[in-house]
This record gives sequence, structure tokens and C-alpha cells, in this order.
Amino acid sequence: MTALATLAPEFASVPDSTLPGPLQRYRDNAAKAIAGMAMPTRRTENWKYSSRHLQLDTALAAPLAATGTISTDIGDAYRIVIRNGVIAADESRLPAIDGIEIVRFADLDEVNAQKIVEQLDGALDTAALQFAPLNSARLQDGLLVRLASNARLDKPLFVLCQTLAEHSGSAHPRILVDAGSHSELTLVEQHESQGDAPALVNAVTELNLAAGAQVTYVRLSLDGTTVNHIGATGVRLAANARFDSHCVGFGGPLRRHDLQIRLQEAGAECRLNGVTVTLGEQHYDNHTVIEHVAPHCNSEETYRCIAAGKSHAIFNGRILIHRDAQKSVAEMSNKNLLLSSEAEIDTKPELEIYADDVKCAHGATIGQLDAESLFYLVSRGIGRTEAGTLLSMAFINELVQQIPVESVKDAIEQRLIDFIETTFQEV
Amino acid sequence: MLSIKNLHAAIEGKEILKGIDLEVKPGEVHAIMGPNGSGKSTLSQVLAGNDSYEVTGGEVILDGKNLLEMETEERAREGVFLAFQYPVEIPGVSNLQFLKTALNSIRKHHGQNEINAVEFMKLAREKARQVNLDESFLKRGVNEGFSGGEKKRNEIMQMLLMEPKLAILDETDSGLDIDALKTVADGVNALRSPDRSVIMVTHYQRLLSYIVPDYVHVLAGGRIIKSGGRELALELEAKGYGWLGINETATAG
Repeated sequence: MTALATLAPEFASVPDSTLPGPLQRYRDNAAKAIAGMAMPTRRTENWKYSSRHLQLDTALAAPLAATGTISTDIGDAYRIVIRNGVIAADESRLPAIDGIEIVRFADLDEVNAQKIVEQLDGALDTAALQFAPLNSARLQDGLLVRLASNARLDKPLFVLCQTLAEHSGSAHPRILVDAGSHSELTLVEQHESQGDAPALVNAVTELNLAAGAQVTYVRLSLDGTTVNHIGATGVRLAANARFDSHCVGFGGPLRRHDLQIRLQEAGAECRLNGVTVTLGEQHYDNHTVIEHVAPHCNSEETYRCIAAGKSHAIFNGRILIHRDAQKSVAEMSNKNLLLSSEAEIDTKPELEIYADDVKCAHGATIGQLDAESLFYLVSRGIGRTEAGTLLSMAFINELVQQIPVESVKDAIEQRLIDFIETTFQEV
Repeated sequence: MLSIKNLHAAIEGKEILKGIDLEVKPGEVHAIMGPNGSGKSTLSQVLAGNDSYEVTGGEVILDGKNLLEMETEERAREGVFLAFQYPVEIPGVSNLQFLKTALNSIRKHHGQNEINAVEFMKLAREKARQVNLDESFLKRGVNEGFSGGEKKRNEIMQMLLMEPKLAILDETDSGLDIDALKTVADGVNALRSPDRSVIMVTHYQRLLSYIVPDYVHVLAGGRIIKSGGRELALELEAKGYGWLGINETATAG
């Protein structure tokens, strides 16, 4: 295992960019800070189960050259492409709506850049995110989505984070969403890749929701089998704001997603759905934190995971209810399905409650396909692959059907079916 | 159609079937009666291919093919249908999706095209009506939240849809009120034809008033100890199993 300290000089080399002054200074400070950082090990609590999948080497420090493209049909929606960490401005399809700004960091003037610097990292608990500082240190560009009060985006905005891995290297996409009071946005953050060289994607997304803002966030982790993916999403909610997320992840050599929610003011709510599937030697690690800071906030979290082959999946769900967060309602459910005796799933719900008048419920299960159900389906002539796939899909279907963007729902459903079918054929 | 010779089967090392012999010709309806624990359900499960049971001896031939060598799904595709005594609830898989997948698996096996969605809906609605199941049941999860009677009717509906050549009804009459019993019997009778056969496993004579069998067999202790015509069922009804020297509280299996 390489320590980040030995990787750091490589990773801390400042990439070329045309960022405005304040953002350059932000980046340079971050680069200095990571020089002393240690790589997570088995003894790092929040990397306990995943450190063995963390096999980064210096080759990954090189920036990926953005050549070529991945054509992705997103239907009737807005889009912006971040290719290998840099925004491909000419491929965007953006709205012309008053009160909605979608701009690259590189295009900001000094004053606005300074404002952004003041916001950056504000929605993240960086102490728990070992790789977010690396993203800051490697900042080449970034995407700012800003909605003024009451602005409403009429169609989903797809942010396609594309990784072209023809050669080894890393990309560090950065997104900042600033949703004004009572604004509405559906954001689809889709990670996809091409090429089969080892690569690292280290993505950071922050969303700040002002009072009454409503954001639906769909995060699709579809990177290829040679891409190591570490992603963090931090969300901060003001009074009565609402955040719904749908995170769908397919396994890889290293897959990690940290989702941190801070219910900052009264009446804020979030609903987090997650579906993860892994097969072969793949890995996927979901770490979520929901912090109830203010009273009268609701959170509901439902994560499902299916692991086949010799794969390894992890769920760590933390709910932290502060002393003043009375009348909090928090529900967390994590159910897991093992499709083979060699697959491993580690699940760890963590509830930390300092208020005395709250309603909290949590449940975690790990099971296998029900033999009786399987026999019932097969006894009707349905083949074993198809029967196993039907039952596995039944396990996650409720969450898949809730994906609010129809085209995404259909495509993901089919992709999940194909993926799960493979797991039965590999036996 | 079906020829069972000296069939032995065990579960968890315990022998339940101890040499079953049965010949079922096309078009015939056979009733298999017997006290609890006689091996009736085991026989149904073994024929359908439940691999929790281990076949320890004997053979089963279906239209010249060795049934015991076929995978469970292959048996169904070859025309074996088991109406379960306790149909499983499968939330998350809709009845429609389940039925369509099953029907298409069977059609594909016989070199037929997959049925299209519109045609299938029409067919499924028609069969649902035939067993007095509201159309809304088609959209629900497989047997999810169905009452006992609804589950049994759903089984018969599946049977009507799949038109098996050998239908095995495992205690399909248990837990049914008289109207539901008639509905189920109508379903089975509708399927009767010179090239289809039915094996009805039942504890009571009641169902046999509505589905009249050609033969009645008494199963006890894992063997068929008596066979006869329809009148045998009536005799059993009048005299009980004790008349045949069977202890009603025989061990379960």
C-alpha cells in the first residue's frame, strides 16, 4: 500500500488551467495541505472495509488528456459535459431562463470567483472525506449551477462526467449548486467512461439549498471496469428545503460514494434512495451521513445492495441528531442480497442521538434469494437465470421505479437487468 | 402419458415415498387420497421437480421421456403443471410480468413466437374472468396479499393460461368455500380433454363431487395401498381411512 505522502508530490503538481486568481489560490492552498496527508488504511475507521481496494499509484496522478467523446443520449434535457475534469463548453445544451446561471469556474470574474471560494467545502465535512482535498488541489475547472429565488429549471440538467481512460491518469470533476430560496432543480450527475487504462475519478459535488428550495439529485455511477471512482456529495439544507436523491452504482475495482446531508434549519427534509450492484471481484462502498442540526426535520433513507460472485459491498449509514434537533424524524433502511456464498457485504447503521424527543428507526438485513420463490417461478417454466433476475429485480424495483426522470429510469432498469443476468450466467 | 414405477423419495434423509406405481393415460383424471403425512404432497413436489427432495429410486416417464432427468423448468415446458398447496407470495414481481415470462418460456420451448403485450393482456384478462379474479389482481405482486381462496384461483388461472398436458393439483380444495370450490372445479373441467391428464391430490371427497375422477388411489405410508373407481372415494367418505387399516394420526411427511 502506497502512502498518499509518496503520491502527494505527483498529485500536488499543479495542472495547467486558466482559473481566476482566487480559485488558483484556493487550489494552491489545498495542494500544500495534502502534502502531509496519509492514505487511509484498515485502521482508518471510515475506510476499514475499503482500504484493501484502494490501490492507487503515481501513474494515476497524471492528468487525463481529453481526446474523443462519449455520445450519450439523454433525451429532452439540458446537458453539460465535464470531460476528464474539464468542461467541454461547446457540447452543452443549456437553458436560457432568467435567474439560472450555469457557468464554468474558469469563466468567473475575480469578484464572483472570490464568492465561490467562500462557498467551496461549506457543504462538506472534509474531516471525513480523505480525497475531497485532493479534488481541490487538482482543480482545473468547475461547474457552477446557480438558481435565483423562485427560479425553476423546467427540464432535468444532466452533468455528464466523462472519463476517457486511454492512458492512466486521474480526473477531478467539481460541481457547486447554489439553489436560491424556493427554486427547483433536477440534476442528473452521470459518471461514465471509455478506454481500459487504469484511471481515478475523484468527484466532488456540493449543493446548497436555501429556504424552501427543492432539489432532486440523480447520481449514476456507470464508470468502466478499470476506473477507480471516489465521489463525495455534500448537501446543506435551509428551512423547509427538500432534497431527494437517487444514487445508482455499478461495481468496479474501487467505488466509493460519500453522501453527507446537513439539515441545517427547521422543516428541512431529505429522502435518500440508493441501489448498488456488484459482481466478480468488484467493490462498492456507500457512506452516508445525515445530520439533524435543527428541530422538525425529516429524513428517510433506503439503500439496497446486491452482491454476486466474489464482490464486496459496504454500507455505512450514520444519523447524527444534535441536541437541539427535537421532533426529528429519521428512518433508515438498508437491505442487502447476497447472490453467492463468496460475496461479502458489510453494513453498519450508526445512530447518534443527543435530543430526547425524536423518532428514529433503522434496520439492516442481509439475505439470499428465497428458495421457495425460486422454485415457484422455475416450476412455471421460467429459466433459472430469468427467475433469479426477476427475484433480484423485485428486491430493488421499488427504488428503481421511484427514479423521477423517465428516460433514466428505463435505461437504468434495463442496465440493472442485464447486469444481474450476467451474475447468474457466470455461475 | 405418465408412468411412475417404484418411485422412492426422501427429504433430509428420511424416506417418504416407498415405492409408488401409477399409470395415467391421456384424458384421465386420477384422485390421490390419503391421510395427512401419507406422502401426497411429496409426490406432487417430486413430480414438479422440487430439489429439496431426493429421488432415491424408481422412474417416471412422461410421454416417453425420463421426467426425473429433466430440470424443473424443462418439466413445466414439457407440460407438467403443479397447482401449489401453498402458493408463494413474491412482492415486487407483478403477476402479469410473471405470467408473461412463464408463458413465453413455454412458447419458446415449442418453437413459437413470444406473445405480444396486447394479445397477452387479452388472454390474461379472459383467464382471470374465468376464475372470478378481478383484473386488478394481474397488476399486483405475485400472490401478494391474496386471500387463501384467491391464491388457489390464481393457481387455476395460471393452469388455464399454460394449458399443461399434465396438471397436478395439490390440495387445491383446501381452505375453499363452496363458491370458490365450484370456480376451481369449473376451471379444471374446462381444461379436461382427451389429450390432457389430471392428478388431484386431496384429503377430502368433497372436490370429487365437482371434478369426477376416473380412478381413485389411496396413499398411505408412502405407498398406494388401494386403487379403484369413483366409488372408492365415496366409501372412504362413509367409512374413513380406518376402514383400510390406516392409522389417521400416522407420522407426517
